[in-house]
Amino acid sequence: MTTINANPDAILDTHASRDNYLTHTRGFLSWAFTLDHKRIGVMYLVGVLTAFFVGGIFALLLRTELLTPGATITADPNVYNQWFTLHGAIMVFLVIIPSIPAALGNFILPIMLGAKDVAFPRLNLFSFWLWMAGALFAVVALMRGGFDTGWTFYVPYSTTTETGGVIPVVVGVFILGFSSIFTGMNFVVTIHKLRPPGMTWFRMPLFLWALYSTALIQVLATPVLAITLLLLIVERAVGIGIFTPSLGGDPVLFQHFFWFYSHPAVYIMILPGMGIVSELFAVHAHRHIFGYRFIAYSSVAIAIFSFLVWGHHMFVSGQSPLINTLFSAISFSVAIPSAVKVFNWTATLYKGSISLTTPMLYALAFLILFTIGGLTGLHLATLNTDVHLHDTYFVVAHFHYVMMGSALIAMIGGLHHWWPKITGRLYNERLGSLACIIIFIGFNVTFFTQFMLGSHGMPRRYYDYQPEFTTYHQISTMGSYIMASGFLITAWCLLSSLWNGERSPANPWGGRSLEWQCSSPPPHDNFPTQPRVGDCYDFSCVVWSEEENGYVVDRSLDPELNPNAPKRAGAH
Amino acid sequence: MISSVLAITASAMATAQATPLIGIGDDFWLPPAASTFAEGLDQMFHFINWLCYFFFALIAVLMVVFVVKYRAPKGHSFRTDGPTHHLPMELTWLIIPLILVIVIFWLGFAGSKTLGVEGYVGLITPPRNAYEIQATAKKWSWLFKYPNGVMSDDLYIPAGEPIKMVLRADDVLHSFFIPNFRVKRDCVPERYGYLWFQADEPTGHSKFHHLFCAEYCGTGHSNMNRRVFVLSRPDFDAWLAKEASWLDVIPDDELYFKAGPKLFARCVTCHSLDGTRLTGPSWKGLWDRINEGSGRFTDGKSYRDLIGPGKQFQTPEDYIRDSILNPAGHVVDTYSPAGMPTFKGQLNDKAIDALIGMIRHVDEFDPKTGQWLKAAEKKE
Repeated sequence: MTTINANPDAILDTHASRDNYLTHTRGFLSWAFTLDHKRIGVMYLVGVLTAFFVGGIFALLLRTELLTPGATITADPNVYNQWFTLHGAIMVFLVIIPSIPAALGNFILPIMLGAKDVAFPRLNLFSFWLWMAGALFAVVALMRGGFDTGWTFYVPYSTTTETGGVIPVVVGVFILGFSSIFTGMNFVVTIHKLRPPGMTWFRMPLFLWALYSTALIQVLATPVLAITLLLLIVERAVGIGIFTPSLGGDPVLFQHFFWFYSHPAVYIMILPGMGIVSELFAVHAHRHIFGYRFIAYSSVAIAIFSFLVWGHHMFVSGQSPLINTLFSAISFSVAIPSAVKVFNWTATLYKGSISLTTPMLYALAFLILFTIGGLTGLHLATLNTDVHLHDTYFVVAHFHYVMMGSALIAMIGGLHHWWPKITGRLYNERLGSLACIIIFIGFNVTFFTQFMLGSHGMPRRYYDYQPEFTTYHQISTMGSYIMASGFLITAWCLLSSLWNGERSPANPWGGRSLEWQCSSPPPHDNFPTQPRVGDCYDFSCVVWSEEENGYVVDRSLDPELNPNAPKRAGAH
Repeated sequence: MISSVLAITASAMATAQATPLIGIGDDFWLPPAASTFAEGLDQMFHFINWLCYFFFALIAVLMVVFVVKYRAPKGHSFRTDGPTHHLPMELTWLIIPLILVIVIFWLGFAGSKTLGVEGYVGLITPPRNAYEIQATAKKWSWLFKYPNGVMSDDLYIPAGEPIKMVLRADDVLHSFFIPNFRVKRDCVPERYGYLWFQADEPTGHSKFHHLFCAEYCGTGHSNMNRRVFVLSRPDFDAWLAKEASWLDVIPDDELYFKAGPKLFARCVTCHSLDGTRLTGPSWKGLWDRINEGSGRFTDGKSYRDLIGPGKQFQTPEDYIRDSILNPAGHVVDTYSPAGMPTFKGQLNDKAIDALIGMIRHVDEFDPKTGQWLKAAEKKE
């Protein structure tokens, strides 16, 4: 084997039984104070999935309450108001925002770069403990009487409501913001400084482009949220009158501040999902991603546009018509890079060698759900139709298609994709696929119905509703039960693999990027030396190996790594 | 001018029994279109929908075809003939959506007569001759005030005339939303907002459209729904005239049981008659508590410290009146000063007398429905 890599055997060291990051050291403290990005990623994963479970329970509670008009399982509207607030706040701040970058990104990013760790391992650990502190404040808020402000904390409701947990939870979100900023900074520096030889910007796996764009938004937008929340705390604690009208403040100003962060935050949630899906399509279709540059540029374009469109959350808030018109126009700009991505992913399937694995099913589910979520954004960016649809279930359905149907489905797909790498175990593919299909069906039953509800005028955040809406609500609730059962099967499928799953080969799917070239689970140091890389979407050097019972990346077949490699037709 | 007469539920009571509503319709998308621009807006909605159907079908079909056609078993060697990029094609699917969104934006903003689309511009510009109704949102009720001073809880509008709503809020954000008219606008405290619409089809007193609060405002958010009646001009004028005088024609000695329950409809979300603790103190036993002087305020003072000859309030009536007009002045212990909005300018002396009477005689009212229990006795 001729290769220009200094230490070829290390790259292909696929023997999992040896020392790996899980067995490298033992004991609670070896995890709590670890600087290993993989362990931090796993801790994030556990935390995020736990929060997802809790947020999901609240989702089921509120869907169950909505089975009938009036009281169903609680006679107190305030309890319902707390449920939807908790559902939203947990899912946004504790689950979706950190899920992909902090959990999967932390684990995969340095390995994709062939690096030993992120640029600032201590900062990385710190941001995990900040996440824990933020979660702790959410618990404190619950013990102080909870909070019923909605996850958006709109003033003057949030400055006057009597629930005692408002300040603790806002402090919690403030802290979570710093966790997010530090992760973002870490990733920006890591991607700038630790790319391996051969990996120019336009040779990076697209997941890294997505994480990079996300990190930029995190670093630039989150401080605005932090300032806003700080002002909110001061306002509520001592009444200084920045936002509260009775003190001379301006409640619409709060909305501007809030959405100046929270609209980009929507892309903090979806961009990494898009990155994962780019990987899933390429790896499971075993084919060069179609239109690499367009996908990479569109991530950056989305990151930039994301800062210019916040006003579309406020079309009926009393904002001037001129501003509304400008924001409507700019909002449509986001549709273009999104459309480009969708078409390029679809084109990636063309002339591929597609394995219908569980991660691929999630990618296909993503494609469908994101298409629906993206297209219904048109109704909401359009001024005249948004007036009717604003603050109805149409909006609820739209952002669930994007945030859950797309961002979270991508996250779950990514989890299935990298699970063998993270745990070293293969899960039951039949069960995983079945669960994916159940979740997909349940999701659509739940949320497509909500488009219909919303278009008929059902406002959001309603404990009680007019009897005419009952059938829609009941169908939606049934959908949520179907979805929940799908998630339970997923949880069982993944967790049971830890005990009785087959040992995973280094490269179970036929991936080409660097994480598939170290053992599963990876060793403590990932790679003995930083390996040189070729085109990470060139699958012609990925071959099936009976001996490994998996694929191997035969680096001698890559003309970039081996000048003597045979030339191929078709590749550029 | 009977400027501060509260007609509130006089109107509601007249139509309360078994009112059939117009509802949300049976269409797959969108409720009935009941304002002059609703159909033009629906046209836009359907236009976007068709684009969505087309692109969704395109993606879904291509996806399924590719997956079926290019599926390869595990371990199969990979084909390498797929193109890695194709600039003309990528530019095509960049430029076509770009053109489409520009068209959508423009139609949404300006509308189009030929396509029958009503633009945003048409929604935000009330005609000069519009009939003006003041709407005030508060936790958790609406108050509509007509040019002649009549106030109502449900919204009544004349058919075939442009209506301009002047919106405001007393406490937190609310949002004025009539789905069948396709209009919505937030009500912001300390700010005025406009919104206009015109409904040509009268509903009469027997049917109504829904009015919702669309901005989350707390406990009673989902019960801030009210009814919108569209009346022909003569009916509307008759209704206005009747509402203008309802309180004045009630003799003083019948005031507390004739006007009381109707006025109480504005208090019922926060004050119970049966002792249940809601946002504000229950009226049950309230009169006795005030007279005995038991009970404390948040500042530690008791009723006895404030009420009585020579004190801040000479009589219990003075204290109740002040509580209605200036609720945050003295707040009963364990309740919040933010709990109650002022009713200054909304209740005249006669209305306040009716409420004081009702508080005095609270035992004469059904604790659940607020109906006067001696009504039957009186008839006999």
